[in-house]
Amino acid sequence: MQEKSYLVEREVWVENRLGIHARPASQILNLARQFEAEILLEKDGSVANARELLSVLALDCPQGTRLVVRAKGADARDAAHAMVQLFARKFGET
Amino acid sequence: MSATRVLTGIPASPGIVVGRARVVSDFGDLQATFRLLYTDRERQAEVRRFKEAVEQAQADLSRLRDRVAAEFPEHTHLLELHLLILTDQMLHDEPLRLIREENLNAEWALHRAYERVRELFSRIEDPYIRGRIQDVESVYRRLMGILIGQSPRRLIPTGDKVILVARDLSPAETTQMAGSGVVGFITERGGRTSHTAILAQSFEIPAVVGVDNAIKEIAPGEELILDGLSGRIILNPDQGVLERYRRRQAEFAAFREEVTTNAAEPATTPDGFATRVMANIELPEEVHLVGRYGADGVGLYRTEFLFLRLRHLPTEEELFEDYRKVVASLAPRLVTIRTLDIGGDKFLHRNDYVPEMNPALGLRAIRFCLRERDIFRRQLRAILRASAYGRVRVMFPLISSVQEVREAKALIEEVKGELRREGHPFDEEMPVGAMIEVPAAVTLCQMLAPEVDFFSIGTNDLIQYALAIDRGNKQVAAMYQPLHPAVLRMVLQVVTAAGVSGVPVAMCGEMAGDPLHLPILLGLGVAELSMNPLAIPVIKRVIRSITLAEAQAMASRVLEMVSVEEINDFANLFLKERFPEIYRFGSALAGI
Repeated sequence: MQEKSYLVEREVWVENRLGIHARPASQILNLARQFEAEILLEKDGSVANARELLSVLALDCPQGTRLVVRAKGADARDAAHAMVQLFARKFGET
Repeated sequence: MSATRVLTGIPASPGIVVGRARVVSDFGDLQATFRLLYTDRERQAEVRRFKEAVEQAQADLSRLRDRVAAEFPEHTHLLELHLLILTDQMLHDEPLRLIREENLNAEWALHRAYERVRELFSRIEDPYIRGRIQDVESVYRRLMGILIGQSPRRLIPTGDKVILVARDLSPAETTQMAGSGVVGFITERGGRTSHTAILAQSFEIPAVVGVDNAIKEIAPGEELILDGLSGRIILNPDQGVLERYRRRQAEFAAFREEVTTNAAEPATTPDGFATRVMANIELPEEVHLVGRYGADGVGLYRTEFLFLRLRHLPTEEELFEDYRKVVASLAPRLVTIRTLDIGGDKFLHRNDYVPEMNPALGLRAIRFCLRERDIFRRQLRAILRASAYGRVRVMFPLISSVQEVREAKALIEEVKGELRREGHPFDEEMPVGAMIEVPAAVTLCQMLAPEVDFFSIGTNDLIQYALAIDRGNKQVAAMYQPLHPAVLRMVLQVVTAAGVSGVPVAMCGEMAGDPLHLPILLGLGVAELSMNPLAIPVIKRVIRSITLAEAQAMASRVLEMVSVEEINDFANLFLKERFPEIYRFGSALAGI
């Protein structure tokens, strides 16, 4: 039986001081791996797959960047929610 | 048999090791070969070869991470990052696609994929994020090394007693040395306070940096002695030299072991004169050294790093978070925060701040802060707010008049008022101090004393200004003499004036961490010293073994001497006779 698939979009802001550098990018990746849903991060038309560390880094997101989280799949809602939380926690940084 | 040769550099991490050179040249040597694949079998073989290389790199990195985690858990993150990069789409899936679809051999496929990542990263505007290309490159080199088979584990050679020789080493590469076969390293670039040097000290891997032409001069496989105490590298040592250094090595190990015992206990002279021995810190990584080497607190927390590292002017929150972390993690120990000690040209990109002809005499430190009050207020607010999380005191660098102290204190009062209204907690009694490092401040210290809660003599600048010596100028560097009679008289003048007002005197700067100077400084009445954390155990040991009376007698004798040579001889002789071990090794730990 085909599971129901959702498409969820959420806006997030990069609030930590150093932006999405290596550590936040690793956290994004590790979080994305916990979900079935495909999770994309979009910045001004450029898109990175949250599971791809280097693409996420190359998106170039310093502090103050606005991103759209786009999750697609059975657990898209949970995935998008978790991603929003991670950004809101500033990746545990300042 | 070739002759023994000696190279010299800057001692970056103390210790002596004997080993064989492993010269890590730049990537230019690791040329990727180009070959086209014609058959399915070839393609399958190439895919397998690539996957095996990734597996080997993964195994190497994981093993390394586990080793580092056992001893230095705070340093594993770079290795974790490299593991993630190894299986990233761009550096893993893409080369596989290039092999399968474009018939490229593994090396060239990897090379193409890496070049694309590099191109992509070069367009990143944020310098901090762009800098991560270093880590991608490190993983790329590792993987390519395995594929080429030239040197399967390029940067962490196994085997015994490898001494790494490189143009430069990144902090990531230095981290990889912990627990590997590398017993020491030599680089052409870098200084004693570089990040890499600090990591080496933290791993206790001896290192010499700033060695000109090391790569050209040292042959791969050559036997050498690395003396991280003196900064000397002895190539092709003969038996006699080897034996001498082996003895020195064993003695140093025993010495280090002995001095670090009880380092955390307070240092009081046998006749009951209690001192405080504090640490100088700058980088966040150094906080753990404070506990490790038994510092009684931080006597100098340099705050320039954040201003220099960020691409923007740090916000109050950013400053506060940094200070709070340091203060809270060291509580209840005292943390002395020095306000900004640089000029605007170092971090403000404005036309009115261009590099100065003579920055040592220019608009920097307190002068700059009083000119750019918004920046100063921001830092003062952050420092005050951090004071709620532990014990903080603040000090102003480069004070040359009473007026400057008053203006700075008035700003503190204003800022306190704001914080009160905003409901931010802070320490109402936070002590405020003046750094004494300009001769004018020495002359005025009687007038400065009633204005402040403490003095801190910054010897590096004071000696430079008092003797008119630029240490960076090789023509006169030898004339930079901490025990110069003029310098000692200045110290005495400060201590005396402060004593009248009951203001405590601290000393930070390299002079404070050298066991050679210690008895004289104690005798002059300096009761608090702040230094490179590594030097602390040695200094405490000396304090515990000489009486204040003895130190005072020394100081008065020295004050009668007219030449610095005479004073140096006297101090050296004393140290040599009373503390032969410290005489031999102590200065190296002081980081001099």
